[in-house]
Amino acid sequence: MLAMRSIRQRPGRFLATLLSAFLGAAIIMTFNSMHDTAAQSGVDSVSAETLTTAASVVGGYGTLLVFFAVASTLTVNVRQRAAELELLRCSGATPAQLKRMVVGEAVAVALVGAVLAIGPAMLGGQALLEVFQDSGQVDRSVDHSFGAIALLSGVDITLLAAAGAAFLAVRRATRGHERRGRGRTFFAYAALVTGAAAVCSTFAISATDAALMAAPAYGAILLSVGFALLSPRLLKGVLDRLPLTGASGWLAVRNLRRRADHLAGILMSLILFTAVATATLYMQAVESDAVEASGLTKSVDAKNLETLNFTVVGIIVVFVCVMLVNSLYAATTYRRREFGQQRLAGATPGQVLGTVGTEGLILTVTGLFFGTVAALAGIIPFTVVRTDSVLPHQGLGIWLAVVSVAAAATLGTSLATARRVLRTPAVGAVAVAA
Amino acid sequence: MFRAGSRRTHDTGPAAEALRLVKVTKTYGTDESAVTALDGVTLTLGRGTFTAVMGPSGSGKSTLLQCAAGLDRPDSGIVRVDGTELTGGGEAELTKFRRGRIGFVFQQYNLLDTLTVAQNTVLPLRLAGRRVDRARAREVLTSVGLGDRLGHRPDQLSGGQRQRVAIARALVTEPRVIFADEPTGALDTRSARDVLRLLQQAVGVHGRTVVMVTHDPVAASYADSVLFLADGRLAGRMDAPTADAVAERLAHLGDDMTAGV
Repeated sequence: MLAMRSIRQRPGRFLATLLSAFLGAAIIMTFNSMHDTAAQSGVDSVSAETLTTAASVVGGYGTLLVFFAVASTLTVNVRQRAAELELLRCSGATPAQLKRMVVGEAVAVALVGAVLAIGPAMLGGQALLEVFQDSGQVDRSVDHSFGAIALLSGVDITLLAAAGAAFLAVRRATRGHERRGRGRTFFAYAALVTGAAAVCSTFAISATDAALMAAPAYGAILLSVGFALLSPRLLKGVLDRLPLTGASGWLAVRNLRRRADHLAGILMSLILFTAVATATLYMQAVESDAVEASGLTKSVDAKNLETLNFTVVGIIVVFVCVMLVNSLYAATTYRRREFGQQRLAGATPGQVLGTVGTEGLILTVTGLFFGTVAALAGIIPFTVVRTDSVLPHQGLGIWLAVVSVAAAATLGTSLATARRVLRTPAVGAVAVAA
Repeated sequence: MFRAGSRRTHDTGPAAEALRLVKVTKTYGTDESAVTALDGVTLTLGRGTFTAVMGPSGSGKSTLLQCAAGLDRPDSGIVRVDGTELTGGGEAELTKFRRGRIGFVFQQYNLLDTLTVAQNTVLPLRLAGRRVDRARAREVLTSVGLGDRLGHRPDQLSGGQRQRVAIARALVTEPRVIFADEPTGALDTRSARDVLRLLQQAVGVHGRTVVMVTHDPVAASYADSVLFLADGRLAGRMDAPTADAVAERLAHLGDDMTAGV
């Protein structure tokens, strides 16, 4: 009840959650409709296998991403409403009621997102099938079908992810200071060790084995997850070694050090994005070149792998951009009062923007650095085993593209938002009621 | 001090008039919903004075302070701080005008939570690109009784302590004028007294000029003189104020206005 009222009053703040639920549901439904398509009678086994593989792999990725994206938008949402939740608690709402409200809101928004996604997912499924047909991976005679599997999985997964993410977010918010440090550190080191093992195991696989790409790819992803989990600590480590001068740089370093834990989400997205995109794209390029050099035509499996790789990277790019833009926008808007205080202490708007820009730059460089390290850890073993060289011959082009997308999203969002926030006069910005 | 208006650096010795407002008018909103917050206010405050500005809610005291301090621009009229006229220009220009001449103390302290007490104190110096003298910062913080709290964060301090940090921050740039907006509004009586004594010292010992907006007659009684404001206009002045006299005057401020019409 409280939930519906709170959504109706302020639909704008749920936009990011809606967008991630919508995108997630659309992707899950698009790919799961391949299950429906394959299940039709009269589909040959090769076509069916291609469709099922695509659906399973991307469907699995999609579920994870929906969870992360919805969780990140909801965490930001709940954190910003700390004051409102506190007010409700003071006026007699029990923790269970607050939990029900936040979870209820999230489920309602996710349901709207999932329903909106049905139409685009039908069109997307149709288009995806045509891509498979054009490349000869699926027979021309197969018709697209959007059925129960697509619909149910899309709606269920989106709702479950939203409810789970909201539950965790509000629990974290209502519990106050929580010590999750130990579990987190354990997972981080576990991911790093497993990742390193996976990367090393690449050398044990033969160069022509179809599964060769799997070990270094998963290794790189695990390493990046490990770095991502350690990101607050990595950020602090970087900050300690940074000799920044000038008022803006001085403030930026101090702000980041204090807010390192809050910024972990942004850094996490950056590291994962860089690692997954760079590793997948380079390995796929090396693989394609190697196949071409050997003079063989690509098998259906190899083509499937290529399509999947590009699709996965595409999805991750979109999701991470949404997450980055959302959390940076929210985090920067939230700092209205702080910017006002800086201005009253004598900072010009240019100095405030300089501080925000420096912070963004430090975050971007840190994220890109650790993401690239994780990606290289996967790319180098793969290239060594698959070809004779150590580094891919593709040059820096792909990496530069990944870097510019990440930098544009991070710096663009924070600076544009800060500029907007600075339009409020300083005295108004520090007013308590803001 | 010839043609002080064209001199921009604050190294030209202090002017005899710390603050001068001539027919300052400020209106908020447009057309029918327009509210005249300041209606042609003219006043002059000498160097080394401690003035309280009082008036009922909505009398324009906060607007007066913001216009005088270069936080807001009046619609018309002249504002001179330390002999230099506050002219148009963007926020950056106003900020640069403020940082050499004006210090602020706010009701809500407005300290940055990410910085320590010492870092907050020297922030205006850093932002202005001036030399950061740690010994001087320590000296100022010691003078407000916080010499042992240099490494603390604002959220580890009481309200009174935070306000004393804010005063140290306002003093460290050696401004000509310190503007205080309800500096004791959020404090208990004991902390309020400490803060007001510090403001008195800033005037008496360091020769600063303090302008304080307040609604508390006790706070106003610490000032050398009180200016009363009602409906955007000056409605009287009281020298050597006592809390009782100020309260009495404030209670009949409306009567005076009606009588004056």
